[in-house]
Amino acid sequence: MLRTVLLRSARSATCQAVRRSSPIARPALASSFVKQSQFAPSAFQAARCYSAAAGLEKPEVEGRIIDLLKNFDKVSDPTKLSASSHFANDLGLDSLDTVEVVMAIEEEFSIEIPDKEADAIHSVDKAVEYILAQPDGKSVHSFLYA
Amino acid sequence: MALVAYRHLLRSTRIAFQGDLPLLKAARQEARNGFLAQASLRPEDPALGLAIAHAEQVSKILVENIVQGKNQGGDKYREAIDGDVELRIHEKTERGDNDTIKMPNGQKVVLDGKTCAER
Repeated sequence: MLRTVLLRSARSATCQAVRRSSPIARPALASSFVKQSQFAPSAFQAARCYSAAAGLEKPEVEGRIIDLLKNFDKVSDPTKLSASSHFANDLGLDSLDTVEVVMAIEEEFSIEIPDKEADAIHSVDKAVEYILAQPDGKSVHSFLYA
Repeated sequence: MALVAYRHLLRSTRIAFQGDLPLLKAARQEARNGFLAQASLRPEDPALGLAIAHAEQVSKILVENIVQGKNQGGDKYREAIDGDVELRIHEKTERGDNDTIKMPNGQKVVLDGKTCAER
């Protein structure tokens, strides 16, 4: 872009017609470039980031899963929600609800849990354990901030 | 097995009705009702296997044979070719080959460039 501006200004030194347009074009270009670089980081912050600055930490994963369960209207007793709640025994969810919760966890963390592992997730701490065992959380982090 | 089928069905609804929240919710409710309706089947009942196979087939149809269309302001969804509708064809959408239709007994279509009159 800089090269075209330079070329244009060089040409305007010889050509009358171009010289008239170049003083308008040059400041407009420069200001739009500055604006773009100012907006770029803020637009990124507005997007939802799935990895915190220090990767996925246990309290954060727990918090996100518990928040998700808070919004799940079939939880019979929200006061029993804790990091160690069992989906069926503590929260009163049936087996189909459990599948739905695991599905919601998949959507929350943008992952796909294979059937075998998904069948083994019956409690909040099991889910947290599985999420933390995923290498993706850290690789996304290093990709974004490297 | 049934839970695995249920999970597959939910995944399929996510693919088939992506971004269409009312329909996605309705589809999931329907899936749940379907499973609850069969919940009394005993593990040794032969109908159980059929019901699970049915669920798996439903998820296959959802993924492969549903294409979402978004109206871009025209009157009809039919006018896809005119650019009024944006179709979301994803990687799992079935792309059939018309040659195999109405060809029983393993007959093969030969594309040799001949017209009907020449045969």
